[in-house]
Amino acid sequence: MAATRPTGGLQPTLLILIVVALTLLTLQYRGFEPLSAFQRGVRDVIEPLRAVTGRVVSPARSVWNGLLDYDDLRAENERLTEELARMRGRRLTAEADGELLERLLGEVGIDFADLETVVVRILGTPPGNFSTYTIEVDKGSDDGLAEGMPVVTGAGLVGRLESVDRARSVVRLAVHPDFRVGVRLVGSQDEGLARGGGRSGFLVIDAGVRADAVVEAGEVVVTSGGRSRFPADIPVGRVLVPGRADDFQREIVVEPSASLENLSFLNVLLVTEERTSDPSVLLDPGERSR
Amino acid sequence: MTGQFRVLALLLTAAALQATVFDEIRIDGVSVEYLLLVSVLAGFHGGPERGATVAFLAGLLHDSVSSTPLGVHALVYAPLAAVAGHLSVRLVDGARALALAGLAGSVMVGVAIAAGVGALFGLHPVSGVDLVSTATIAALATVTVAGPTSRVVRWAVTGGLPVDIDLTEGASAERTSSR
Repeated sequence: MAATRPTGGLQPTLLILIVVALTLLTLQYRGFEPLSAFQRGVRDVIEPLRAVTGRVVSPARSVWNGLLDYDDLRAENERLTEELARMRGRRLTAEADGELLERLLGEVGIDFADLETVVVRILGTPPGNFSTYTIEVDKGSDDGLAEGMPVVTGAGLVGRLESVDRARSVVRLAVHPDFRVGVRLVGSQDEGLARGGGRSGFLVIDAGVRADAVVEAGEVVVTSGGRSRFPADIPVGRVLVPGRADDFQREIVVEPSASLENLSFLNVLLVTEERTSDPSVLLDPGERSR
Repeated sequence: MTGQFRVLALLLTAAALQATVFDEIRIDGVSVEYLLLVSVLAGFHGGPERGATVAFLAGLLHDSVSSTPLGVHALVYAPLAAVAGHLSVRLVDGARALALAGLAGSVMVGVAIAAGVGALFGLHPVSGVDLVSTATIAALATVTVAGPTSRVVRWAVTGGLPVDIDLTEGASAERTSSR
């Protein structure tokens, strides 16, 4: 006896499958929670396997990465050596910059360092080949994390939690092209909306700031708070390119203060219930207007 | 073990492998598209209809382990498996190189279309050189694990039985697929 290779009923079957897939997509796009719960459940079931595999494969991965990325590692080593030498030379300047930043932040009562945090370790990129500008960290809802919580380092904003499972979470980096954050220019006190610049590695303020606002290179940029999901006054970066004041579509390029490369540990700000209880609060101005 | 259990075991194992071993070992940041491989092979061995159903479920699992919107990969994998099933009946037995080339092409197309569909539903689009590079590396990496996977998928979707019967030449002319 042999298994048959049925082909006659394909068209209705395929059509049904496509319709089901589109329905699922539409439901999830509208925030149908059971679908997200199903996905989280699958990931939670696989999580112990992932943890064990990660530990078992780790030595092999190190060898593998060493073989494949040897040139990159050597180049990075050289770059870091140069960077160290340059940093030593600039220590005084850096100290002066640090004092200036501290003074500027102090002037506006910045206290983000006082917020309760959870330290998370970076595991790498999430599964799949299209996880650009996202990273996976080793803590989840069991540690009190929730979607939307800001992720920072001591230097400033890194991103926010995009999805949270029981033992892992995915962070959307601030340079993700779909990342939005309300920001304030400390010097001019103008507020605007910044978005991730993608491959450029910068953020771009392209809405909200007055066209005639005086913005200078080096000006400190912090989160604006208010109804944003991010608490106020988290350092975002410094203005790199102020843009032309007479330009109708003014774009202010901001260099992130937190280095988004070679990160190992991050802090997740445990934003209070009051801030997250109202779903609309979780949206930044740009997302609310969609 | 019934057919459904075999397919279920295959899919769960494939999802676990996708999220563990193949997630750890990457080439230039690109991992093996194992669930896509299983989908194409399910179409290849099981025919268009059975392949599409298995591929749909594989797509849902892929969406779950990779945190993409539920349905993105299912929407792509099912038609791809159906096409693979249709093309496989036209492939001469033993045309191994052609089958491998077709498999690599299927993976490349699957990766590219999944990226496009994902972009429509809110995922950050990967385009241009990055997309071609990702799809090519994924295809090459995936083909390297196709051999053993093919045998397992064939067992799961056909129960190890011959796929086709040529009734015109009698029972002895059963064509046992060697693919």
